[in-house]
Amino acid sequence: MSSELLIQKVSKAFPGVQALNEVNLTLTGGTVHALLGENGAGKSTLIKIITGVYVADSGTLKVNGEEKTFHNPIESTHAGIAVVHQERNLIPDFSVEENITLHNPPLRFGIINRAERTRLAKQALQTLGFEIDLTERVKNLSVAQMQLVEIAKALVTNAKIILLDEPTASITGSETSKLFEVIKRLKDQGTAILFVSHKLEEVYEICDTVTVLRDGVSVLESKPLADYKQGEIVDLMVGRHLAERKVAIRKVDRKAKPVIELKNVSTALGHKNVSLSLYPGEVLGMYGLVGAGRSELARSILGLHEVTNGQILINGDEIKIKSFRDALHKYRIGYVTENRKEEGLFLDFPVRKNISVTILSKILQKLSVINFKKEDDVATKYVDRLGIKVVDNSQLALTLSGGNQQKVSVSKWLAAETKILIIDEPTVGVDVRTKASFHELIAQLADEGLSIILISSDLAEMIAVADRILVMRRYELVGDLDNSKDYQSMSRSIMNTIHSN
Amino acid sequence: MKLPIFFKNQMTEFSLTIIFMIGFLALVVTSNGVFLSRASLQGFLTYLAVPIVIGMAQMVVLCIGQMSLAVGAMGGVTCAIMAVLMADHNFPVWLALLIGIISATVMGAINGALVVLTQLNGFIITLGTMTILLGFQYRLVKTFTIDKYPSSLPDFGNRNFVGFPYILIIAILTSVLLSMFFSRTIMGRRVLATGGNSLAARLSGVSNNRSVFIAHTLSGLLIGVASVITIASLPGINRSIGGDWMLASFAAPIIGGVLMAGGTVAVYGTVIAAGVVRLVDIARAQYSLDPSIVSLSVGVVTLSTVALSEWRRRRTAHQNEGIKGSK
Repeated sequence: MSSELLIQKVSKAFPGVQALNEVNLTLTGGTVHALLGENGAGKSTLIKIITGVYVADSGTLKVNGEEKTFHNPIESTHAGIAVVHQERNLIPDFSVEENITLHNPPLRFGIINRAERTRLAKQALQTLGFEIDLTERVKNLSVAQMQLVEIAKALVTNAKIILLDEPTASITGSETSKLFEVIKRLKDQGTAILFVSHKLEEVYEICDTVTVLRDGVSVLESKPLADYKQGEIVDLMVGRHLAERKVAIRKVDRKAKPVIELKNVSTALGHKNVSLSLYPGEVLGMYGLVGAGRSELARSILGLHEVTNGQILINGDEIKIKSFRDALHKYRIGYVTENRKEEGLFLDFPVRKNISVTILSKILQKLSVINFKKEDDVATKYVDRLGIKVVDNSQLALTLSGGNQQKVSVSKWLAAETKILIIDEPTVGVDVRTKASFHELIAQLADEGLSIILISSDLAEMIAVADRILVMRRYELVGDLDNSKDYQSMSRSIMNTIHSN
Repeated sequence: MKLPIFFKNQMTEFSLTIIFMIGFLALVVTSNGVFLSRASLQGFLTYLAVPIVIGMAQMVVLCIGQMSLAVGAMGGVTCAIMAVLMADHNFPVWLALLIGIISATVMGAINGALVVLTQLNGFIITLGTMTILLGFQYRLVKTFTIDKYPSSLPDFGNRNFVGFPYILIIAILTSVLLSMFFSRTIMGRRVLATGGNSLAARLSGVSNNRSVFIAHTLSGLLIGVASVITIASLPGINRSIGGDWMLASFAAPIIGGVLMAGGTVAVYGTVIAAGVVRLVDIARAQYSLDPSIVSLSVGVVTLSTVALSEWRRRRTAHQNEGIKGSK
């Protein structure tokens, strides 16, 4: 039995913006359909229309030939549509089975039928080929396990149409392949799957058909993916030629004194004998699978976790960083965090205040009062330099797009005139064009003398940007590779390093 | 709607100002101008001072995303200390008031220190300190009314400058300084940063523990000021002082547009909201309404302003989502 979702000429406008303009999409059972587009192209709006969060202004939506208008997510669920959002939608303190059956817990005499609940949850997990203790609290699961619970939650509603929104954004390579097995199994069972992702390699691995959105218009409508090369898809997404850029190899003087050096550093979190050197103006990549301990190492260096053994040297002098304040004010180390919304920004603050937070003591006037003009000048300087798109400096950070938020997050470290910047996963969930401009920015900053440690799980990004790549595995450094910036050979040697014994 | 420049991004404060003006005019008109008489205007303004300052004392704790249940008890103890020192120990007025302000600040600092040391929420800590302080207050005042202190104090409370009671001027000056503290000093900015996003603040070199400590201490200092105003404007001090402060202290900032989640302050909003609440009080006296009407109206005003600003926030967020999609 196969299902079908047909979207015809769907339009949706928000005040001042045409978010979707006569978009068409055909999703058939037994296929995996990629929905691609840059941030802001309209993917989320389309998903929200399919799931009943928004109602389309015009156009039709047909499920199995029957025309439908969903006014809320419940109606959409009843029509057999399930969505797995990028953000977790699980209740941490509930058990696996409680979460899976949350939408519609089985009842008997008006109270929850526990046996039936266990049966339903077990059945859903079996379909996924995934075993886990059904009574485990969800908060104790790994991210990938939570993802699978989310999918099980979709299955238990007997969904025949499943929308996966960036399902691999936060899981590791091996977890991704497990997820793909599940997707293939669902596909073989006749489920229609819409797959949204920024990672084109994955899209090519798993998807059969593709729709590309650009500025709210479907520029490619439900075509077989095999007919298009990756470059062509990217061109369609960005609307201008942005072929694979050739990145020049930068010259780094490795005879100079390292700006920061770790000697046999061990941490309370379990890093063992980590030694590394970062040279002036170098972009040092740190690659590894998610959970390899890269961010944790950065946070330990910055004083957020204890360094139990070994030495940290800044410009040749042994130092001890006691707190993050030390790292910033004494040693001029900045940290652009992985989660810009949770840790990088003050969303309710204007851009101006977000940038100035690290330099308040430098923009004072008489009586230790903050000089608004100086503050505004600093903000303007970095808004211009990084090309942050804002109406003015008092625009709230909350209202900026992901890429611009990330730039604001970088600006505050530049304003603080840091000498060393640790950048953690800078382009997660950022579109192709912004990604490229971010890579240029990193290179430019390094050219100006900033020394950068780049942590990224995006191999293509790593190879495009880093000068040298350290490979971390289970809290130990297992490789130090000069980057030739040739994707084929580099990716092979990095993968070999990770999987060697 | 385009707002006057003063109210940029401050829809709540703008609406409250309009409501205040309409309410004020309505009272003037319906009382045939009696409300404008010196005595009744004086009464209105004198008893506005305390709600303003305790509202701000709560606001500084709200802005780090916590709540203080102890504002009333702290005020009660502070007033009791000042009164006992003057009446029973013949301390000079200035010294008693100074000691009172310092005690209140110390009480706030203790709250802050306890929150930092235990890493428990301020709600729980202040629930505890509130109960302890109430015990102190009862022990200090017992069942008496203490009023045997120099008359210079109540005299000061009655004095005014071209119609504005000195104590109201103190409250307004305090709010101006507080507003400057948050917008123009490093410490103020850091406290707000902690309230806005404590993780981001920590990763920007801000010490959250210090911010929490400062916010509670500042709250104590403001309660000290409120206590001085109280003792100057009342004929005597008994154990009921501060009993009705706690809820009032929440009403003004929340109506005034301060987010419960932290990260924002609205000094002007708090002041004008206190004014609106005070108008309701006056209206009750003017029309001899049942006291329940006041509770009822303040409750309805609180709920509806919070609901209104939440609705507006969501609508803005929704629109922004659309705008973001436009790039």
